[in-house]
Amino acid sequence: MSISLSALVSTHLAYIGPGAGFAFLGSFLTLLAGLLMSVISFLLWPFRTAWRLIRRRRGFQRARVKKIIFLGLDGLDPQLTEQFMAEGKLPNLARLAAEGSYHRLRTTFPALSPVAWSTFATGVSPAKHNIFDFLDRSLKTYLPQLSSARVGRPRRVLKLGRLRIPLSQPILELRRKSQPFWKILGKQGIGCTILRIPITFPPEKFDGKLLSAMSTPDLKGTQGSFAQFTTRIDKATYENGSRYPLRRVADGFEGEVEGPADTFLENETPLRIPFRVVPKNGTFELHWQQRSCRLTPGESTPWQRLAFRTAIGSTANGMARFLVTETGAEFTMYVSPINIDPERPALPISHPAYYAVYLANLLGPYSTLGMAEDTWALNEGVIDEDAFLSQAYDIFAERKAMYMEALESTNRGVVACVFDTSDRIQHMFFRHLATSDRHQGTIAKMYQQMDDLVGKTISFVQPDTALFVLSDHGFCAFRRGVNINSWLRDNGYLHLKDGKQESGPFFEGVDWDRTRAYALGLGGFYLNLKNREACGIVEPQEAEQLKQEIIGKLNMLREENGDAPIHAVYATRSLYRGPYLDAAPDFVVGYNRGYRCSWDGAVGKVATLALEDNQKAWSGDHCVDPAFVPGVLFSNRKVEATNPGIEDLAPTALALFGLETPGWMEGKALL
Amino acid sequence: MSIKLNKDLWAKVKKVAMAAGYSSPEEFVEHVLEREIAKLEDAQTDQEIVARLKGLGYID
Repeated sequence: MSISLSALVSTHLAYIGPGAGFAFLGSFLTLLAGLLMSVISFLLWPFRTAWRLIRRRRGFQRARVKKIIFLGLDGLDPQLTEQFMAEGKLPNLARLAAEGSYHRLRTTFPALSPVAWSTFATGVSPAKHNIFDFLDRSLKTYLPQLSSARVGRPRRVLKLGRLRIPLSQPILELRRKSQPFWKILGKQGIGCTILRIPITFPPEKFDGKLLSAMSTPDLKGTQGSFAQFTTRIDKATYENGSRYPLRRVADGFEGEVEGPADTFLENETPLRIPFRVVPKNGTFELHWQQRSCRLTPGESTPWQRLAFRTAIGSTANGMARFLVTETGAEFTMYVSPINIDPERPALPISHPAYYAVYLANLLGPYSTLGMAEDTWALNEGVIDEDAFLSQAYDIFAERKAMYMEALESTNRGVVACVFDTSDRIQHMFFRHLATSDRHQGTIAKMYQQMDDLVGKTISFVQPDTALFVLSDHGFCAFRRGVNINSWLRDNGYLHLKDGKQESGPFFEGVDWDRTRAYALGLGGFYLNLKNREACGIVEPQEAEQLKQEIIGKLNMLREENGDAPIHAVYATRSLYRGPYLDAAPDFVVGYNRGYRCSWDGAVGKVATLALEDNQKAWSGDHCVDPAFVPGVLFSNRKVEATNPGIEDLAPTALALFGLETPGWMEGKALL
Repeated sequence: MSIKLNKDLWAKVKKVAMAAGYSSPEEFVEHVLEREIAKLEDAQTDQEIVARLKGLGYID
């Protein structure tokens, strides 16, 4: 009996990573093999087409609908939605609710987008899809890693002097397990177009089209590193971007955009593109690589292509947007994270590979970064709120264009698209909800934009179409942060070396030989378990008792005024079952409204205080007890279920096309 | 890439995979192999992994 392990060794053309990155074009043999495959593929084309048509006809025979549309509005909050509907601000959603149905949609533990959208896709709980948080930890080093995708260097590299030539493909692995419903439908010949649903990088092969979303890196391999160029020269580096100097020259300013490191070189020097800014008639011109564009202060440029040349002459293609934020005695310019160019992607960002290129050719360049809206640039004050909103709505317009294209070109099958605008704007503007400043209505206006999108979607709905508008979680204020690591230190569960009381990030200075529990990520925390963690000290037979002890104490945490930051702490094993449960945090923390894990605590830093104010622009969040932040579910169909959950949508999609719910799925068909 | 398993073992793999909640026997085999290999593999370069998280909105 043979089993295919092709997923483990799928081919990719490129590798991007911090300290590494860009397109590796492959050897002559690779090209020859590609040519041969093309010829064979061409010869087999009539047979494959005939088979596909037969399969498709069979696939739709039992279908109760011709088309399903899933419109995902990330983070759309039920309380605000209901309030705005009652105020008459959301006529299209109100119509859907009246003529079809509306429910609050139960979300996952924890209520985080990577977790919840993975459950949406697969119909299973985190213990079966393996995504428990944005981050998980290395059992060997306790360092954080992205929970959803693994990007690694090629295993074999040829050393030629100071050159390094990769001889194998880089490691690119989607860490979300189980099967998305679109893969199951694809096997039945039912085509799906999946646009920007989180945790789809790297893209999986299936019989349909998919554009990757959350976790897709920028060209540097990070989750988004902006740059600021300024004549105010100092060496300050922002927490999630970098500040670079601009040199004054006779006709303007000069600088260099830093791209990915050149991994073809032993020392992996960052690739750079020099540029010049020249004042002209009250505006400025940007010149680089025989290209130029106009810079109007306060207005972001369209996407500009940046081609980084490596030591061996290959090119890593990216694109960025430029925004002049200060003129006069000093000059300052923001450069967005360098996105992978969808027209010439340095990494696979779609399935099939040409789908990203097709969309770029049809609609123009578009953001490809997983979390495309630059929340950190606003947090750090590098761009202002208006610039952030402008960027967020530009990304919304790009997404809307590809969504509309999919709706127009899909007569039958599934169109599923997630819009992040609703999530990002609430994160950054939630504090304005309770003010009377000019941004007080920003969130309401955003909800109206989403309602308008729903209206446009409804125009594509026929009697044999099922429409679902849903969100993965709701929202609430984030005023106070809880540093679980500091609390563990205060209660004797975590110890630092040399009698210190604070640590740097990533558990720097933690004495693992005396530490029984530690926290990393947004949703939960871990025991330092013997035979699991590299320096684990908790004996497995003591674990249950220790868990109950910690849960009991942490539930009693109080502010000085008596407020409880935590609603409930859950032992993960009581929440769900599945083959990946061993990788889960041992505890999930259900924070009360207004609280979240602190910025420091999320990255394994032990701070002086266990409770602190959140002072960032990022002022709304959903990392609280899931009971407080359900999502929404609207449909043009009558959904009668009393407590629908996000895990029910995948079985529903299968049922509407006449397929039974597979035994491993935990959701139940709603229709 | 393919691996040959004898029929008896494959039958057991299918049964166990279903009972454990995997979506296919292949997923079960991959998981078992990945888990065992991870014990033997060296950890990736620390700073490289951490650098990749830069810019993730939810963390500092």
